[in-house]
Amino acid sequence: MSNSKLYKGSLTTIILKLLNESDKMYGYEITQKVKELTKGELKITEGALYPALHKLEADGLLDVEVKKVDNRLRKYYKITENGEKESSHQLSELASYIATMQALVNPKLNLE
Amino acid sequence: MVKLSLKEIRFIENYLIKNEVKYWDVRLELLDHIINSVEEKMTNKGLSFNAALQEVHQGFGNNLKTYGIYNHKLMKSGLYADKKGFEKFTKQKQKELGRKYRNQAIKTFKNNMLNYKFIVEYLAFSGLVLTVFQYFPKITVFSGLLILMLPTFYGFYHTFEEKALKKSLSFNMVGTFSILYWSIYNLGLQSLTFFYEKTEPKPYEFFVIMLVIMYPFLRSSMNLYLKILKENKALYKLKLS
Repeated sequence: MSNSKLYKGSLTTIILKLLNESDKMYGYEITQKVKELTKGELKITEGALYPALHKLEADGLLDVEVKKVDNRLRKYYKITENGEKESSHQLSELASYIATMQALVNPKLNLE
Repeated sequence: MVKLSLKEIRFIENYLIKNEVKYWDVRLELLDHIINSVEEKMTNKGLSFNAALQEVHQGFGNNLKTYGIYNHKLMKSGLYADKKGFEKFTKQKQKELGRKYRNQAIKTFKNNMLNYKFIVEYLAFSGLVLTVFQYFPKITVFSGLLILMLPTFYGFYHTFEEKALKKSLSFNMVGTFSILYWSIYNLGLQSLTFFYEKTEPKPYEFFVIMLVIMYPFLRSSMNLYLKILKENKALYKLKLS
């Protein structure tokens, strides 16, 4: 992941947000979607993605569904009801963090 | 879009097996990701199969080395990927599965305690144990150990019945819960022999109370075990289909 120190804390928020907007996604699809949305700026490595997905699954925020695709098994992740709640909570926390950082690093842009 | 041949897919799967990703339920997610990633790199970057695979190895945290030792033998000069990243992947997955099953076991326990059918079963079990204990205290206490060991015997039976379960991480993890209960009980029995060797009558009441307290936990872990067993069998059937 580029700028890993800055992005690391937001990884679960990113995953929950993406899964909240789609029915279900598999691990590789998530990495590609993030790459596409950020125009290649943010690349999630496999070593960072799967521990985060497994943790969210253990916390009951994600559910799993396995399907056979191209003659092999594919594991899809779906957001649960608790995951949806956690996603909106984490997004509002992130928005407030961004606003605080903006006020600190670029006070002129702050309208108040 | 480049599609990997069956030979190349087998090469990746065999590589994972040789590098200690021995559980098929862990391997399935890794294999699908590696195939997708290699195919994408070969298509969009024009990389060869080997070069694409090396990039994927690095993404998982495996280190590339110009030499390697495999099965205590020094390999010929060349580029090799170690298994550091895959080992970390499996260990982390194991840790999170343990946490997932612990959470599910607590949830099952709470649901059982609110279920009137289970309450009736629990009262009947406790009544039976306490009644038999009045007449045969020693037999009741040692039968308690066998009752607590039943899920473990059941687990052994399933492992022999279906070899696929032996190589499943989720099945292995869920089986450890049942071992925990009879191990604690057995430890108590061992202590009894050690500390109360010359005391008669021995404090068997303690074990009967322990058995009655442990029963709802044992049943919850048994419910969870059966759920995971069913899921695992269905998944393996899908794999073979």
